[in-house]
Amino acid sequence: MFGFLARRLPSVVFMLLATSVIAFLLPRLAGGDPAQTIAGADATAEQVAAIRVELGLDQPVYAQYGRWLGDLLVGDLGTSLITSRPVGQLIMARLGSTLELAIAATVLMVVLGIGLGILAGSIRKGAGRAGLDGAVSVLLATPPHVTGLILILVLGITFNLLPISGEVSVLRDPLVGISLLIMPALALALPQAAMIARLIQARMYQVRQEEFVDLAIAKGVPPRRIVLSHILRNSMGTAVVATGIRVGELLAGAVVIEAIFARNGLGLMAVDAVSSRDYQVVQIVVLGAVVIAVLVHLLSEILLAALDPRIRLQ
Amino acid sequence: MAANLLEVRNLGTTFRFGQAEVQALHEVSFEARTGRVLGIVGESGSGKSLTARAIMRMLPETASVSNGEVLFESGNLLDLPEARMRSIRGSKIAMVFQDPQAALNPVKTVGWQIEEALVVHGMNKSRARARAIELLGQVGIPEPDKRIDDFPHQFSGGMRQRVVIAIAIANSAKLIIADEPTTALDVTIQAQVLRLLVDLKSRLDIGVILITHDMGVVAEICDDIVVMYGGRVVERGAVAGVFAAPQHPYTRNLLRSMPRIEGVRTARLPTIPGSTPDLSRLPSGCAFHPRCQFAEDICLREVPVLLPMAGSPEREAACHVARQNAGLPPDPDPTPSSEPLAGVRTSGSAPAILEIEDLSVTFPGGGGWLRREKPIVAVDGVSLSLRPGETLGLVGESGCGKTSLSRTIVGLNRPSSGYIRVAGEDVTDFGAEAAAHVRRTVQYVFQDPYASLNPRLSIRQILSEALEQRGLPGRQREAAARALMDMVGLDAAYLDRYPKAFSGGQRQRIGIARALAVEPRVLICDEPVSALDVSIQAQVINILADLRDRLGLGILFIAHDLSVVRHLSDRVAVMYLGRIVEIGPASDVYEHPLHPYTAVLLSSTPKPVPDPSAMQRKLVLGGDMPSPRNPPSGCRFRTRCPIGPLADPSRRICIEKDPLLVGPGEHKSACHFPDEAAGLAVQSKA
Repeated sequence: MFGFLARRLPSVVFMLLATSVIAFLLPRLAGGDPAQTIAGADATAEQVAAIRVELGLDQPVYAQYGRWLGDLLVGDLGTSLITSRPVGQLIMARLGSTLELAIAATVLMVVLGIGLGILAGSIRKGAGRAGLDGAVSVLLATPPHVTGLILILVLGITFNLLPISGEVSVLRDPLVGISLLIMPALALALPQAAMIARLIQARMYQVRQEEFVDLAIAKGVPPRRIVLSHILRNSMGTAVVATGIRVGELLAGAVVIEAIFARNGLGLMAVDAVSSRDYQVVQIVVLGAVVIAVLVHLLSEILLAALDPRIRLQ
Repeated sequence: MAANLLEVRNLGTTFRFGQAEVQALHEVSFEARTGRVLGIVGESGSGKSLTARAIMRMLPETASVSNGEVLFESGNLLDLPEARMRSIRGSKIAMVFQDPQAALNPVKTVGWQIEEALVVHGMNKSRARARAIELLGQVGIPEPDKRIDDFPHQFSGGMRQRVVIAIAIANSAKLIIADEPTTALDVTIQAQVLRLLVDLKSRLDIGVILITHDMGVVAEICDDIVVMYGGRVVERGAVAGVFAAPQHPYTRNLLRSMPRIEGVRTARLPTIPGSTPDLSRLPSGCAFHPRCQFAEDICLREVPVLLPMAGSPEREAACHVARQNAGLPPDPDPTPSSEPLAGVRTSGSAPAILEIEDLSVTFPGGGGWLRREKPIVAVDGVSLSLRPGETLGLVGESGCGKTSLSRTIVGLNRPSSGYIRVAGEDVTDFGAEAAAHVRRTVQYVFQDPYASLNPRLSIRQILSEALEQRGLPGRQREAAARALMDMVGLDAAYLDRYPKAFSGGQRQRIGIARALAVEPRVLICDEPVSALDVSIQAQVINILADLRDRLGLGILFIAHDLSVVRHLSDRVAVMYLGRIVEIGPASDVYEHPLHPYTAVLLSSTPKPVPDPSAMQRKLVLGGDMPSPRNPPSGCRFRTRCPIGPLADPSRRICIEKDPLLVGPGEHKSACHFPDEAAGLAVQSKA
């Protein structure tokens, strides 16, 4: 596995470099001017120009890029153009909140997705099948923000079971922290879980047609064992690939959910940074998202190889 | 006579599609006995696999048994609760499936899979492991204690089928049902697996039901035979009797339409007209009547019952005609035009239309850019030539490079060295001009008639496209398309149909018509009949032979089935691991092979002539073909050769020196001991 990671290194480095260029150029191509934002609507052209010089925005783009990349390599994430605070600090302040939400949502997504998928793949007749298919379809069709609002209405307001907004770190007060986390995490996880469940169900139906399942039946293996040892094990690869892809979607959905549940996370910060043209923050957020995607991808490849002996890491 | 082990009585099975019900099996009855092999023979859609599944109670969800009983150990299997049936599956009746690639769970070790068969029937884990090792040894897997923890993909096809057989005999089952167990295997591996099955049968004293489409396999290892057609048993009895004097026209015609590997060749194979019926649309009365030369009125009206034949109570057939006449009437001569095949059309002096010289095809070995794997040499220094009106048969097992070679000739693969000349022009570089020249001159007929026709184009569109290639103006295309349909024996009224409306044999004819549209001078046929039912094969083979003679086509005929190649070919080339090991006139190669591999191939091919001792005399090769990535030094066949250094360690020459393709006259072989190879063939025949 170590060799596998070493061989992947060049392509990962290349991809990160390419992304850094895109992350750097995109906000600048979007129009708007951070100097104007800082100076305010009433500032004169000279004042704006002075601020530009101060921020180094008057220099050629490649020079700005070179400086940013050089700083990045020594661990300096830059300084926010708007708030003048180090980007690293800004991110660290909010990372905890988003990390809690992401981890909770991922756990829910995997558990619910795989659980529902196995159930839907095993029950192939009658009311159970119809009910499961219906539930999965509804979940699939409902976007996270709608799910979030419904959860607030039902669990938060009608039954008053869970607090509807705000956040407390789980590390500081686990009980309150978790009770605040349940609804946003569920809202984020449910549509993704439904997607994973659908894929696992389809794959299980497919594996059930394979001849080795017939051979297992001919061996006299009981149905439960057939599902667990033969069908499930051969369907998990799909689950891993699907989960890996869905993690990215989950992070994207976090922006909206943080707004609905009044959580002070990275998502909100990123949205603010984009609207105020705070290049420095946007760049780091985009780059960070790509790093996470690459890591998740590597992880799912390693998992796939562990699940299927025919796949060799190379 | 041994007691009945399993008795199937009046078994009927129906499929349910929504409201509609289709009866798929009708009144199927037969017995299997201990120590005997019962062959169930039929073509696709005959219901033979369905019968096996009904016995195992493993029918698809849409199917159910409508009537009848399956008696086993004095009880009816169809009445047992599912839990009881489960305790019989795998422990008393076991099953072997067709495709060993698909029949093993890819993510579990083979040991685990054998152990599972033991554990679910109550054996404890550690004893199961010991038994699994013992079983692997019993089915002939070398070093079983090391291989037990390997995964299925680390075994070759033949080895995997051995593992499946090990699972089947794990609990000392009394009956093994093998559903086409060798169909997916190469002929030398087929011989290994069949011999193993016969060995196990006598050693363990069990009964075997062998489901197959291959009359040759039946003749070689079965004691009794059940012939199925359209979901019914049409004939049954002892193999020797049925083969000597079949009492149902279908059985007789099926046997006749098989190309023979030895004996006299006739101009045309006798064919069975039409195609195998769909179980959901069976003809009235006797399902075979539309294809039967004896059909009378009664055959259209009444379903014939399976009854013992007069004079031989052990034989049963379901035929009105045979019943009325106390035996099937003799047939009008099946080969009216019995002029010899070779003759006028092959003019030895004509210049070759296709010449290949010292051709090699190499595939890169893969791997990343830090570590390169060795390249695979798929074709290694092959020279061939083909004259107009001549058929050159190219035989060899999967992986020998025959398909790579043929694809290279039409430019689908690139040669790494050597020359290809088509009609005198060097086309090795496949530049725009050369490629156009090849496309006008050489056409390809593919193996799978289902995959090689675009399902969204009508036959007219498919043919017009090809005619356009030839540059035929639009208004002449209609007439040309009709002429092409006529040439391959299809009704021109079918032109507006889509491929899905046709049977496999008809599709293959369309494939041939498409190839002929550009008026090529060479046809490359890559396994053109191996996906077809036996009764359909003969039709396609005859069409190819007719077209060759009428149009003076040169045909490069690639196949693994030596009988089919023998029937059609003037010359034959045998390939092994990328090299031609023997080449020469077909009759010389088949009658006096000068390479041990050819002798083994000939001996391994099942012949539809019952012979109880054939299995013992067979030359059965050990092991598998080595990887083309690392071919053995010297002679490439030496690692499996029955006369090479394995048999006689003093023969260092085979290891050290690569034999050249030389020989008396046109008949050449690449063997250091060609005379001994010839002796080998004689010995296995006697």
